[in-house]
Amino acid sequence: MNAKPFHLNRTLLILIILLVVIAIWKPVALIYGLQRGGLYALIALPLALILGIIGILNLGHGDFLTLAMYIGYLLFENLKIDPLLSMIPLFFIFLALGMGIYMLTIKYVLKSGELNQLILTFGISMVIIQMAELIWTTRPRNLYVPYASSSVSFLDFSVGTYEFLYPALAIGVLVALRLFLKKTKLGQAATAVGQNPRGAEIVGIDTNRVYFTVFSISIGILGIAAGVMLPRTSVFPLTGSPYTLKSFALVAMAGLGNLNGILVGGIALGIAEAVIQSIPGYGGWSDLVFFGVLLTVILTRAYRRSES
Amino acid sequence: MKNRIGLTIAVAGLLSIMISLPYYSGAYFLSVTMTILLNMTLAVSWDMMLRTGQLSFGIAGFFGIGSYVSIVAVSNFGINNVVSIFLAAASVAVIALALAFAILKLRGIYFAITTLALTMVFSVIVRNMPTLTGGSGGKVLYNTIFNGDTTKIYWLILTMTLFTIFLSIAFEKTRVHYAISSIRNDEIVAKSSGINVFKYLTILFVITAMIQGVAGAIYTQQYGFAYPETAFSLDFLMLPMAMALVGGIYSTWGSVIGSVVLGLVAEYLRLVMPHGSRIIYGIIVILIIMFLPKGIYGTIENRLRATRSGARE
Repeated sequence: MNAKPFHLNRTLLILIILLVVIAIWKPVALIYGLQRGGLYALIALPLALILGIIGILNLGHGDFLTLAMYIGYLLFENLKIDPLLSMIPLFFIFLALGMGIYMLTIKYVLKSGELNQLILTFGISMVIIQMAELIWTTRPRNLYVPYASSSVSFLDFSVGTYEFLYPALAIGVLVALRLFLKKTKLGQAATAVGQNPRGAEIVGIDTNRVYFTVFSISIGILGIAAGVMLPRTSVFPLTGSPYTLKSFALVAMAGLGNLNGILVGGIALGIAEAVIQSIPGYGGWSDLVFFGVLLTVILTRAYRRSES
Repeated sequence: MKNRIGLTIAVAGLLSIMISLPYYSGAYFLSVTMTILLNMTLAVSWDMMLRTGQLSFGIAGFFGIGSYVSIVAVSNFGINNVVSIFLAAASVAVIALALAFAILKLRGIYFAITTLALTMVFSVIVRNMPTLTGGSGGKVLYNTIFNGDTTKIYWLILTMTLFTIFLSIAFEKTRVHYAISSIRNDEIVAKSSGINVFKYLTILFVITAMIQGVAGAIYTQQYGFAYPETAFSLDFLMLPMAMALVGGIYSTWGSVIGSVVLGLVAEYLRLVMPHGSRIIYGIIVILIIMFLPKGIYGTIENRLRATRSGARE
């Protein structure tokens, strides 16, 4: 896709330098940010895939994550499946769910304009939230596994070790996705469709099959994310919702098709959030980091476009 | 000519029924009607913006701002309840105008996402200013508008709804309509035929935001409370959207019909299944987008047009 193996734009670079300075000032925020940022990236990757290749912004993204966490919770409660192990069945369950959702809904709106697509996925999001509320009520569920609460001390602070799984898994998924897009025939076809759907169709690529595969794999990855999140996150109907816009913020920041940028951007924003949260009395404002970045990125892009 | 007289009589009849409703309907039916009228206002205002081709998810955001400005004005500064509604309208207008310069350059998903993100930003701001807004604990109003006189509140809501419908029809019947629909169909063509796209978008954006802010203010004055979760609730986005879609987008009467139909269905569902009824709205939205993108009114209109042209041949 890109000639350079690791593409960084200037804004991102400045941000990283700024964050390194802050990190020396608040080292613990760096660690927390790295952990949380890895999670953001892990969740944003499938959104980027759907947006980049199918061209649909899935507003139900975070809610599929919520649903996966509820199912992981049920697997743990009823069948005593460890959440980390449940990543595997969750991946396949959500792969199948993705297939079903694609066949039932997405397929019908591929050609009907982006407004209709947005309203459709927004409707899906609402249905999942309300369904979760109806079945499981708004009561938060937590599950306990002993290994998730282990920690190491770092300088004067203790830092959870379990959360290092987030960035590790994000890197793993990123590598796997890149291999899929570069090495497999279907992945190459997907890349081509993402760049030019009509051209891809002309050279004989079955776009429908590509969309079908990409959508189901993306929803499947959310199953993996849900599995790794479960031991440290309480599950309630709105658990996943904030991740939809946060993921979109990352994709907008990195630029479409730049999967590496999502990892870097995710960690950068994770650190920024952690820094703000560490300021006493102002922790609540940390939610604005992503929205601020999202609005800034969208607006600067829009102005650059309208000036040219 | 005959047709017009008939229409006038029908409208006058409907109006007098609506105005005199509190005198013969029970309290329950009146409250259902008020809910429907509130959602109708939001649905029409959402559709007015959509007619320019811009999908706004900002209803809940402006609704929330309106509702907080009004409650803060009354309970913190002792301003009169009715005045607080105008104050809410003015504040939302100023905020929307300021935002307009920044975000009306955006199109498609970027505009939609920005309006959705702004809703979240507003709610974060409200949550983090506890001295003014009560923070996440919310705010309760002890002296509600007209001392809680339902009849007067009903007339207030009815006025708001009729004003919105009137405005929407006015936009449909005047030159504004051509400007708006040409922007939606092809912005470059609109621009090159001398239409000031930005001006019309700004007018529409500010007016619809004001309507949504006023709706929020009246809602808060009616029920006497505001919490971040309820004031910025996406329900105030989902239900009006569903109503406009069911009735048929890009037309005033579509939204009006949709809100009456879905409003009654929603009330029935709420009685039958108190918790899960909102799932149905989501499913309705999905189904309408997939199978009936023109809605009820649009589909009927198309049928009529088809039979009329068929008869002519």
